[in-house]
Amino acid sequence: MAQSYSLFVARESFVHRLNPLTKLTLTGLLLVSGLFLPGIWTNYLLFVGIVLPLSAAAGVTKQLVRSAWKIVLPFAISLFLIQGFLWPGGTPILYVGPLSLKSEGLQFAVVSTGRILMIVSSFLWFSLTTRPDHLMNSLSRIGFPSNLAYVIVATIQIAPRFQSRAATILDAQRARGLETEGSLRTRARALVPLVIPLVLSSLIDVEERALAVEARAFNRQGPKTFLIELPEAAWEPAARWFMVVLMVSILGLRVYLAITRWRS
Amino acid sequence: MIQLMQVTYSYPVTSRPALREITLEIPTGQFCALVGANGAGKSTLAYTIAGFIPHFYHGNLAGSVLIDGKETSQVPLSQLVQQVGLIFQNPFNQISGTKFTVREEIAFGLENLGLPRDEMEARIQATLSLVGIEDLAERYPLALSGGQMQRVAIASVLAMRPQVLVLDEPTSQLDPVGSREVFAAVRALIVEGGITVVMIEHKLEWVAVFADRVIALVDGALAADGDPQEVLTDETLVGKTIGQTRYTRAARQAQRSGYWPQDRQLPVTLEQAVDGFRESRGTPAG
Repeated sequence: MAQSYSLFVARESFVHRLNPLTKLTLTGLLLVSGLFLPGIWTNYLLFVGIVLPLSAAAGVTKQLVRSAWKIVLPFAISLFLIQGFLWPGGTPILYVGPLSLKSEGLQFAVVSTGRILMIVSSFLWFSLTTRPDHLMNSLSRIGFPSNLAYVIVATIQIAPRFQSRAATILDAQRARGLETEGSLRTRARALVPLVIPLVLSSLIDVEERALAVEARAFNRQGPKTFLIELPEAAWEPAARWFMVVLMVSILGLRVYLAITRWRS
Repeated sequence: MIQLMQVTYSYPVTSRPALREITLEIPTGQFCALVGANGAGKSTLAYTIAGFIPHFYHGNLAGSVLIDGKETSQVPLSQLVQQVGLIFQNPFNQISGTKFTVREEIAFGLENLGLPRDEMEARIQATLSLVGIEDLAERYPLALSGGQMQRVAIASVLAMRPQVLVLDEPTSQLDPVGSREVFAAVRALIVEGGITVVMIEHKLEWVAVFADRVIALVDGALAADGDPQEVLTDETLVGKTIGQTRYTRAARQAQRSGYWPQDRQLPVTLEQAVDGFRESRGTPAG
């Protein structure tokens, strides 16, 4: 059974030692650059030039490439086929039977795949190198609501338990003769005796968990403190501000270009 | 010091009270076991002492509950939890799920209290050794066994330095090994002294050895309150509420056929049973 849905891979590296906020800002900058900078190959350049070296530095390239590949490939295939062949009008470059491959469609598929690649890989890089509790800790410090932070991190940690409970209920009901395989109707009918115990037992758990969290003064008004000292190099705050300025400039540039194009 | 005066409580949308006119006083440092059948109001009483009634469960509370002379309804829950710690049945549900080591898990409550870091470190260290789980300090809390998790839960609550610890069947979901671990941890607390313990527990053999006092509830009302040997051998309570220890049961059976010394009180512990049977020497008394 998985202990956590967190993707975090423990390593000793420069990237792991970065403050979560710095990594989060960099992820944001990568996304903004990938989505708003012009150029067909921009995202691929960013991927090869920034994301890959950073994951290599963190020792997580294998995990990153493996997961990114699984997510991006199906998108890429369908984009190339659908956009490539079904692009309205456009310049045909290859004929396959009654269909023709359009260069504009291909270009669109390349750009879209690049964007998906950037979104997936930058988030993967972030999640593989950042402990979720450290992220929430750092966000809470800058004013992120702690209730929301609790829900996010606890879900990642506790969800596997719900999964294993669902498996237990499934086994228990099967042991009593519940048919869970066969026609669609059989399967649909089996759902009720599986879902009801799962939901009810989860509700009971939620109540007890709420009490237990309350017993630890979770809803106390006033500032919280943190046991873990998060790493933060002296240059990191400045770097974050610099990245924020870059993001804003890229967005500004984009808006400026759109306005000038619209005027002309 | 815990004082309850004429406490009657019903949960929201129920008409039948879960607690009926309970008046109790538990002095500081006492170890008090709470027994009774399912639905007798044990957990409700635990929640009332801990202030979760009326702060978490609303419903209808009459009478007064005082902790150290202060009415619990007048003190915010986040402050009450520093006076009365509450431990639940399910160990897993008490692990916050946001922490990666036991040390950090124990810190969860202390962070919420806004304690400075060195104070947290000192308290964590002290609690780890008090509960006897120093070896778990760097482990991932959700990967521990039930008994280990329950001891982490106890440590997490104790680190908040309550004067009273209320445990609601802390071993009911544990295997024998886990139960023993938890009992040993609770016993260490009692031996160290100073802390008042209220524990709901069905394992009467254990209660008989360690409790200073046993309180029995029947249908939300106090049915008996006193010395463990007195309450646990009370014949009128056996059938309807709490059962009896195996020692009492054996001696009672022996008594019927005259194998128990006539004026000797029925036993609740192994030692008492051995003594009694030794005295009768297997021959019908008298």
